Amino acid sequence: MTDGPVGAQQIAAEIAETPPSSAISLQMSVDNYLDVIRGVVDLFANKNEMDTIYVTATISSDAIKRVLEALDIDSSRVYFVDCISHIMMGAPTLHDENTTLVESPTMLENLMLKVEYLIRRSQSKSKLVVIDSINSLAIHNNNWILSEFLHILVSGLRSRNAYTVILSVEEHSTPEINNMVNLVCDHGIRAGKQEG
Amino acid sequence: MVARTGERERCATGIDGLDTILYGGIPKANTVLLTGSCGTGKTSLALEFLIHGALKGENSLFVSVTENSEKLLANIIPYRFFDKSLIKSGRLVFVDLPIMYERLGMSKPELSMEEIDLLVSAIGDLAKELGTKRLVVDSITSVCYKLKTSEKIRDFILKLAKTLSDLNCTSMLVGEVAAESHAYSSFGVEEAIADGIILMANMERRGDLLRTLQVIKMRGTMHSRTKYVLDLTPMGVLLVPLLKGGSTG
Repeated sequence: MTDGPVGAQQIAAEIAETPPSSAISLQMSVDNYLDVIRGVVDLFANKNEMDTIYVTATISSDAIKRVLEALDIDSSRVYFVDCISHIMMGAPTLHDENTTLVESPTMLENLMLKVEYLIRRSQSKSKLVVIDSINSLAIHNNNWILSEFLHILVSGLRSRNAYTVILSVEEHSTPEINNMVNLVCDHGIRAGKQEG
Repeated sequence: MVARTGERERCATGIDGLDTILYGGIPKANTVLLTGSCGTGKTSLALEFLIHGALKGENSLFVSVTENSEKLLANIIPYRFFDKSLIKSGRLVFVDLPIMYERLGMSKPELSMEEIDLLVSAIGDLAKELGTKRLVVDSITSVCYKLKTSEKIRDFILKLAKTLSDLNCTSMLVGEVAAESHAYSSFGVEEAIADGIILMANMERRGDLLRTLQVIKMRGTMHSRTKYVLDLTPMGVLLVPLLKGGSTG
């Protein structure tokens, strides 16, 4: 874990320092969400011409797309696994090539299968998988199954040379969740407002 | 797939997860019962097994019993690896069994022992003529309904399995069971004769319906006996282990 909180540039730089197949825990404050998105998706993945597989369990993929658009971030290489729209009864009715829906965040196996599908479909040499967020998944799943899920998912992604970034929200985290994430991650970043 | 010393040669299904479960694939010339209730992905998996075979240059034959092959092809998952030229070139052949019944003059609702021999010979001759190395019968249950008795079913499957095995052809017989059934087949005979059983099911967990796959037996190889969750995708069947923390038992 880094000593102090870091901003978008530093997040990207820190991830870039880790080798492919690394799993990174990125702890953020709710106020830093936009910095994190910019750092991970734009300054790291897009800059390095990587496909991003963005697993969203917190807000819908449509909402994240709007965030990316507002931040002027190119989303053409971002593929969503949306685990929340269906249970909110807000799943888009139109087919979107870049979005795959999972019916519920409790269907963790299906989540893994969709990630696997997108990894196989991707033509990109390097891939990044973002889990947004472990706290949201913890609302719907017990720690046993979530821990098992993280272990299998991260091991699988390592064998495919993909980066994994697991987002957690400081304010909503518990020691159990932090332990679970630390167990599978090689590197930790704490995101915060840049000083000065 | 090259077998290690002392091991039987494998017929790699081409479905990564399944080949891993089977330590490299189905032992060549085995007859496998691919069984499960409706909507579990049996036909898709069987079809993918044949397509991968055809892509590798192995002649593959789909014997359709319940659905005519035109309708089947119209509803096929748009596999990214599927090449229609496989059908044109004859690498992948579809045959409708009801047409075969008609040609063989088997119009009665129940087949006699002689007719069973005739049907097995007809399928065997066709497989031989086409040089078939992979064969699927979808579904064997529908054929069994025309056989009625356990003795006839046993006789038919034994003879069919022997005929195909002699041709070094690896086969999948698709079986149908009721959704609530704990049996591996409708007539209770099919599983005893098959060299292998792959069970596909719908598993409900806290209101979520998951498609699962489990290899119950496979003669001639070690295999995983754990339950996997599967997804039918344009990249083919994908499998991941069922998470035990959430299993209902």
